[in-house]
Amino acid sequence: MSPRHPTFVASPAELLPVAQSIAAQWQQVGATGHLLARNIDTGEELGFDVDAPVPLASVAKVPLALVVLDRIATGTLDPALPITIDPASKSVGWTGVAAFRHPATLAVGDLVHQTLTVSDNASADALFDLVGIEVVDERLRGWGCPGIRVRHHMHRMYECTAGVAGDDFGLALELAIRDDAAGQHSIETLNPAYANVGSAAALVELLERIWLDQISRPEATAELRRLMALQVFNQRLSSDLRADTVRVSGKTGTFLHLRHEIGMVTTESGDRIAIAALTRSHRRASIAHDIDLAIGAAARSAFESLRR
Amino acid sequence: MDLLAHLEAYVAVAEEGSFSRAADVLYVAQPVLSRRIKNLEQHLGGQLFDRSRRQITGTDLGVLLLPHAKDVLSRVDHLRQVARTALASAAHALGVPPDSDPVALARVIRAGTRHGVTIGVRELPAEERAGGLADGSLAFALLRVPPEAATYHVRLGLAAVDPVTGSSGRRPVHLESLRPRRGAESGSSPAILVTAEDEIGFAAERFDKAAARAGLPEGRVRRVASTASAVAETLAGHAVLLCPEPFARRHDLAWSPLADAALHRGYELATARRRVGNLGTPVLDWMAPLLADAIGAVGVPAENPGAAERGSTVPDPRSRLAARG
Repeated sequence: MSPRHPTFVASPAELLPVAQSIAAQWQQVGATGHLLARNIDTGEELGFDVDAPVPLASVAKVPLALVVLDRIATGTLDPALPITIDPASKSVGWTGVAAFRHPATLAVGDLVHQTLTVSDNASADALFDLVGIEVVDERLRGWGCPGIRVRHHMHRMYECTAGVAGDDFGLALELAIRDDAAGQHSIETLNPAYANVGSAAALVELLERIWLDQISRPEATAELRRLMALQVFNQRLSSDLRADTVRVSGKTGTFLHLRHEIGMVTTESGDRIAIAALTRSHRRASIAHDIDLAIGAAARSAFESLRR
Repeated sequence: MDLLAHLEAYVAVAEEGSFSRAADVLYVAQPVLSRRIKNLEQHLGGQLFDRSRRQITGTDLGVLLLPHAKDVLSRVDHLRQVARTALASAAHALGVPPDSDPVALARVIRAGTRHGVTIGVRELPAEERAGGLADGSLAFALLRVPPEAATYHVRLGLAAVDPVTGSSGRRPVHLESLRPRRGAESGSSPAILVTAEDEIGFAAERFDKAAARAGLPEGRVRRVASTASAVAETLAGHAVLLCPEPFARRHDLAWSPLADAALHRGYELATARRRVGNLGTPVLDWMAPLLADAIGAVGVPAENPGAAERGSTVPDPRSRLAARG
């Protein structure tokens, strides 16, 4: 659980009240968390508790995709390479190949698409198998992203949870919430020491470098930007932002009490605001639309106070 | 002079025909017994026993007075018994929920008088009613039990100035409908007030879980210690109150039942066997229907889809944990 009084960042300082009111709003709906929003062209930013490592859930698919797209861009991986995913051994999930009931063969490039647009766990894990977990983690370190660690497959989250709570979602949620309060983790993939983790600051930094072509290769970052713009989920960052003139390219992450999204808000007028919103809640609900909306409201407030 | 003790000595000697046997019967020393007889003879002005022969016999006066002495002693016995009975049948305390209907409770008290049982009604929180039965301060109590296992089923609903379910107010209310609408001002949603009667362990746990799963933030549900202030806040239009229908009607509040019957109240009428003894069963026969009326119980407990584990056909347990996105 993050401290009762968040550590705020605001530059310039007049943005501080915006960050404070967002933290207060989150608290009102029973969520605590980490936020950083930065205008990548002006460098102005606001947020709170930006450096704490947080289990990423599906947000980890962004660095995974970047490493895969980097391999494709350097010519060491063929985007047309067919991969067959067998329902008997695939990862669980409700969307994409994870929900398929028959063996499916997809090209590597399309697995990246499924991974990012519908958060497909089976496609993501097939890509992890292809490039290797350690390779993804090393590559991130090579790129100078120390605040992001990738240590396990997506499937591992469900294995660890089923290991302590069986199929009882309520129990798993209860454990996650209590463990947060106690600071001891019975679900390994929620323990920052073993989980795929990232801080709001590191994730905003990553988004910034992706949009400014300051990481990997321009072909890889361009493809990543294209795919993130195609994400189908719009209940969080974009819930109060979407318009014909405002676009959100993002990736959500949801697991038990964790509700995250990172993304770049871009406008017709040329503004580019990177946002990382990582939340955890003490509410015993798997769906809490007001928390999602509070993340959306935060994104809108931050965006409107940071755009030129 | 303790006349009763002396009369007891006199009757015992007459019946046993011996000072020593009478002393044994009365658990007193023989000199004490002899002194009592002597004192009584002085008091009455004549000898009661002829001590000249080996076998003790009564004098004419002794024979004459014996039935009168026995009569005095038996009347005293009766006096004591009446006192005991009167004490035992004094007000049987009955523990009822705080929001019971006073008019219906008056009928319980009157019916008690008719059946020769004094009923003292005590309004107590659920936990104290259970405690009162255990420690003997209550003879009868309505105990909270899960509605699906209960004899008496009291529908709980939400009372408000205007029906929470829109114009009609007759439709059941679902907790999900109480979520603030998208775009609504935050903080504009009225609090849901829960009184002590619905704060008892399992019931509060169920309600909190249902509210959380329906997407209501924790701050929406508020516990209130005083029923009166809860009603006041509700009448003022600042809150909605979780209560049974008759209670809402008594305060001119609109009321809609909660759709999930697992969140309703269940009651069992229990007796403290130590206090009531054999009196219990016949009393329950006439008291039960009147009490059901006082708490607003309705018919047979309803089937409740909410409490039972809802069936699931998801093949892989882990996939139930998987979130979308």
